[in-house]
Amino acid sequence: MTGFGKKLALILGSLLLLGAGAGAALAADSIKVGVVLPLTGSQAKFGEIEKNSFMLALEEINAAGGVNGKKIELVMEDDTGKPDVGRSAIEKLITQDQVSVVTGGYSSSVTFAMAAVAQQRKVPFVVVTGSDDKITEQKWNYVFRINPPASEYPKALGSFLTEVVKPQSVVILYENTNFGQSSSKAFVKDCEDMGLKILMKEGYEAGAVDFKPLLTKVKAANPDLIYMVSYVMDASLLMRQAKELDINPKLFVGGGAGFTLPEFVKNAGPAAEFVFSATLWTETVPFPGAREYVKKYADKFKEETEYHGAEAYAGMYVVADALKRAKAVEPDAVREALAATDLMTAFGPVKFISYDKKTQQNSLPTYLVQWQKGELETVWPKELATKPAVYPVPKWSER
Amino acid sequence: MLRERGWELSLLAVLLVFPLAVQDAYFRHLMILVLLWVTIGTGWNLLAGYTGQVSFGTAAFFGVGAYTAGLLAHHLEISAWWGLLLGGPLAVLVGFPFGWISFPLRGAYFALGSLALGEIMRLLATVWESLTEGMVGILIMQTFVSKVPYYYLALGLALASILVMELVTRSRLGYYFVSIREDQDAAASIGIDTTRYKMVSLSLHAFLTGTAGALYMNYMGFIDPQVVFSLSDISIMAILVVIVGGVGTIMGPVVGAFVMVAVQEIFRSGGFGGLKALTQAVGGGFLPVLTKYITQAHVLAFGVLVVVVIMTLPNGIVGDWSRIKRALRRG
Amino acid sequence: MDVLLQTLVAGLLKGGLYALIGIGMTLIMGVMGIINLAHGQMMMVAMYLTFVLFTFLGLDPYFSLLLTMPALFLLGAAVQRWALNPLLKVESLLPQNQVLMTVGIGMVLTEVMRFIFSSNYQSLKTGYSDATFFLGQISFSVPLTIAFLVACLFTSLMFWFLLKTDLGRSIRAVAQDAEAAQLMGVNAERIRTITMGLGAALVAAAGTLLLPVYYLFPDIGKPFTTKAFIITILGGLGSTVGAILGGVTLGLAEALGSTFLGMQYEDLVGLVIFILVLLFLPGGFKRLTKV
Repeated sequence: MTGFGKKLALILGSLLLLGAGAGAALAADSIKVGVVLPLTGSQAKFGEIEKNSFMLALEEINAAGGVNGKKIELVMEDDTGKPDVGRSAIEKLITQDQVSVVTGGYSSSVTFAMAAVAQQRKVPFVVVTGSDDKITEQKWNYVFRINPPASEYPKALGSFLTEVVKPQSVVILYENTNFGQSSSKAFVKDCEDMGLKILMKEGYEAGAVDFKPLLTKVKAANPDLIYMVSYVMDASLLMRQAKELDINPKLFVGGGAGFTLPEFVKNAGPAAEFVFSATLWTETVPFPGAREYVKKYADKFKEETEYHGAEAYAGMYVVADALKRAKAVEPDAVREALAATDLMTAFGPVKFISYDKKTQQNSLPTYLVQWQKGELETVWPKELATKPAVYPVPKWSER
Repeated sequence: MLRERGWELSLLAVLLVFPLAVQDAYFRHLMILVLLWVTIGTGWNLLAGYTGQVSFGTAAFFGVGAYTAGLLAHHLEISAWWGLLLGGPLAVLVGFPFGWISFPLRGAYFALGSLALGEIMRLLATVWESLTEGMVGILIMQTFVSKVPYYYLALGLALASILVMELVTRSRLGYYFVSIREDQDAAASIGIDTTRYKMVSLSLHAFLTGTAGALYMNYMGFIDPQVVFSLSDISIMAILVVIVGGVGTIMGPVVGAFVMVAVQEIFRSGGFGGLKALTQAVGGGFLPVLTKYITQAHVLAFGVLVVVVIMTLPNGIVGDWSRIKRALRRG
Repeated sequence: MDVLLQTLVAGLLKGGLYALIGIGMTLIMGVMGIINLAHGQMMMVAMYLTFVLFTFLGLDPYFSLLLTMPALFLLGAAVQRWALNPLLKVESLLPQNQVLMTVGIGMVLTEVMRFIFSSNYQSLKTGYSDATFFLGQISFSVPLTIAFLVACLFTSLMFWFLLKTDLGRSIRAVAQDAEAAQLMGVNAERIRTITMGLGAALVAAAGTLLLPVYYLFPDIGKPFTTKAFIITILGGLGSTVGAILGGVTLGLAEALGSTFLGMQYEDLVGLVIFILVLLFLPGGFKRLTKV
């Protein structure tokens, strides 16, 4: 036992010392920017798209001379989709890599946990995707958000409903995740404001095999509008089974998330046709660089990008812009520069303002898209539409 | 006593001065995680390693502790620190009906029942939005920016749990526990009230785990059902910590916690960024690909570690230390 | 009325699939006395196999049953032969070492698949994936109905096999009393290997049948492991008939729960039933059916 003890103490001791040594940061002539994304785990697909988009923007910025003569260097950390790991990651970036600004943040819960650390350690954090409303409702002056909060996703849908569809009743289905629960709650409020009758509001555990019992109930309720917050595979199953059960509301609307992805139409097949979805960004938005970004991404990575990528791409430019204007490369100066941001990006104009309960939140329009012949078309607002909305939607049996 | 305990005391000394020697917040953070796992692992070890009741439901108690702290702050605006006092007892309360249902049964039933308990708690916390905020989770601001207070609290808790373990194993209680593990019928036949003592063991387990959960909430500042009621990240991780370190040994969870946190973090960060530095120094080749695979492989590493440990060191690193030593000497 | 009928049909069809998952598990539990916490993960491996056969060779999932089942039989048998059987001889404090081993194996299987196929969702579309037929107002999904029928077929085959063949009798003998069986000249180790293989093959069938209507990613196994043990406890350890009843009960309970309580309670319903069974019917349905 004693021999074991000595060795153990020795090993533990030396490991601790090693840790201390590794902590000393290397001097660098570049500006380090921390990025935390889910690079492994179930959200890795989007983490990868965002990572690629950050890298794409970074190359462009550095090729154009970097920031005040210095190149930017990204320090990527993997949050594996878990809040505690995200916390470890941002702690490492701040204390070991001594970055003066952090960006990224994919899932709401991870972003939330990281934002608290950033605020406490007084290092600015530019959120590009985490959409829980509460993230910018804490009066945290080191936390900035480029993307609209979850409650604003269906903004464009609201005007489409009041101006065109004028539905009477709605059924809301949502997955029991942070995004699902918070955005369905927000949509309930929107419905109440519009005077819509909510016939059903039901959550489900992501990954259900069979939605038929739920959809049978929906069919019996016979709503004008079915609003679903689902991730891509659940979304496909929901639509396929809705078609099987021959459910015919005036329209099916997805609340972002899975409904705008290419996989959705691939899996749902004909059941995806004419399905609407709220979205934050499409290739056709009238912002400079949007189409170019999509093309550059496809050329470089040989795959399609989507709105998460655009958020990341814009995020990199916002950070670079702030670093350019900052009086010094240290957190407080960068924070001040960020607060004064007024930049046009491929994702839209970025300006961090305070409204309602939110602070340092960028405010952007949102869009309504519709699947038409297997293509995602922007249909609302009207002035930006690539195709007119197909409405009323034909019944399944009449297609 | 001192001679016998020499290495344990020197380890304690190292742990006591650690935050003074290491200023780096990241490594302090990792050490806090290690200490939390020491507590959780010790609790599991008491129930499974000493009493023979393998539980897959550690997360149930961990989560109850964490939510106790979180909900106090969230709904009642009472400091989440009270959770440290209340989290343990509440976890014990949850454990009572569960033990009452599953202890009269034998074999796989308890393991399965505990797995079900953990999942039930997770689903309840997800669905009961008015109480728990569901998957949106609960956020509190931490009291301290510095890691040092959390470190010493976690250290204190870990020491307390090991102390409990020491006291239990030296007492009559420990004797009852072990006799239940070895042969429940024989234990019952010599007049040991097996259900009662299993309940005591479960309560100690729940108390330690719940308190650790409350400390986790205070330290992390954010919880949601998937984080604290996680089957793979809490319940199974607790088992792995003890299996790797050594079931039924006092120091097993200590060694296991250190190994598991180190393995996870080394893989996740690619050898604390060492691989990346190497890639930059060498300049490409197969290294970036290798780095990518390694950083993705931490769960795989856990899996392989478990398989290898169970096959070759069925009693864990501490339990089979003499065998490891022999093998090393021969090699 | 339609709502109730449609719910019952959905529950019944799903229940058939659950039964198939459950039989494999109950066999393993009955013979080995352990829970196989890699059961769902084995199903996941079979699904990936089906997916690969379909995508690269164009094999119809129903045809690939002929390949996935033997393949998973080999995987299951290999796991038992080289990973679980040796543990019986190792001295350890915990009798549940084998269970913990299956946890490790499950993790390895999941992560290896993640390495090969990444975390992306995969699915395969066949001509019949969305096919439905109607009886009155009630819709039946064609692939789920086929799955249900195939499940019934396999279950009866299994039943016959266990009752009428020598090998089946040996399996039951080992399940009842391994030591006695060994004294009678049964090679218990070999029987365990075969049983694990059979269990894996049956769950492979479930996976292959499910894939056309569902989808696939590496983590998909875990929830099915949970379902499998709920079914097994419902049915009673080692009882084939029990597993069928358990599977159908769980399918129906989940469907009724999601219709009348709310879909978010779907998983909760299964777990609560599980606890109730522990409380009031600890032997499962086996106590009632006696088989």
